[in-house]
Amino acid sequence: MHERQKSMINEERYLVERVGRENPFRVPEGYFDTLVSEVMARVDATAPPAPRKARVVWLRPVLYAAASVCALFFSVTAYHAFNRQPADAPVAQQMETVSHQSEDSFEEAADYLMVDNQDIYACLSSDY
Amino acid sequence: MYTDEELSALLQNPERQRNVFEAIVRQYSEQLYWTIRRMVLSHDDANDVLQNTLLKAWNGLSTFHGESKLSTWLSRIAINESVDFLRRQKARATLSTDDDSGLANTLLADEYFDGDETQALLQEAVAKLPDVQRTVFQLRYFEDMKYSEMSRMLNTSEGSLKASYHIAVKKISDFFKSHD
Repeated sequence: MHERQKSMINEERYLVERVGRENPFRVPEGYFDTLVSEVMARVDATAPPAPRKARVVWLRPVLYAAASVCALFFSVTAYHAFNRQPADAPVAQQMETVSHQSEDSFEEAADYLMVDNQDIYACLSSDY
Repeated sequence: MYTDEELSALLQNPERQRNVFEAIVRQYSEQLYWTIRRMVLSHDDANDVLQNTLLKAWNGLSTFHGESKLSTWLSRIAINESVDFLRRQKARATLSTDDDSGLANTLLADEYFDGDETQALLQEAVAKLPDVQRTVFQLRYFEDMKYSEMSRMLNTSEGSLKASYHIAVKKISDFFKSHD
C-alpha cells in the first residue's frame, strides 16, 4: 500500500474516533409528512415549460441561409444601384434610390424565401 | 416504492408527469434534504434549498432523458443549489464583515441541532473548506458515497475527488489536533 493511502486511512480513522459519523441534525416534528403537499402546491402553481418547438430548431439552418442570401442580394443590388448613377448626381438622390431599391429587393427576397418576421425573431431569440 | 428506472420510464408520458413527480418527491425528498442540510446546516435554509431543488427538477423535467440515474440527476441539482446558496451566503457575510468564527456556538444554540461541542466544531471545520472539498467530504464521510457515483454526479474524475477528500480529511484532522 502506498504511503499516501496509509496516511489517508490513518487520518480518516483518527477523525472517526475523534468525532464519529453521527448525524447531529434533526427536523421539526412531522416535517417530512407535510413536505410533499407543500412542494406539490408550489408545483401546481407553476406550469412546466412548454417543450421547444421543433419547427424552429429544424428551420434554423434554413433561416440562417435565407438571411445570408438576403444580405448578399441586398449588397449586390446596392452595388449596382450606386454604379448606375451618374457621377455628378446629387448624393441625396442616390441615397433615395438605393433606399427604395433595397427595400423593394428585401421584400422580394422575403417573399421568395417565404420567411416572415416571426420566423426571423424565432430564429434569433432561440438559444443554441 | 418505484425503482429509478420505473420512474424514469413513467416520466416519458406527459399526462402522468405530475403524479409521477409527486411519487418522486415522496421517494427522494428525505434523502435530498439530508444532503442539503449537511451543506447549509440550518433547517430553514435546507427547507428553502430543497424546495428550490424540487421546483428546478420539475421545471427541468424535459431535459432529463434518463442518461443518468434519476437519483443522481436530483442529487446533482441539490448540490448545485446548495453550493449556490453557500456562495450567496458567503458574499453576504463578506459584505457585512461577519466570519465563521461563531458557527459552532450558533449550531449549539440551534433547536434543531442535537450534537455536542465536538460535532459542532466538526461542522465549523467543514464549513471552512473550499466548496469542492466541502461537498466531497460531506458525500464521502457522512453518506459513504462511492467515488464512481460522485464522479458521475459532479462531472469530475475519481482521482481528483479522492485527492479533494484526502486534503479535506487532513485539514479537518489538523483542525482537531490543534484543539486537542
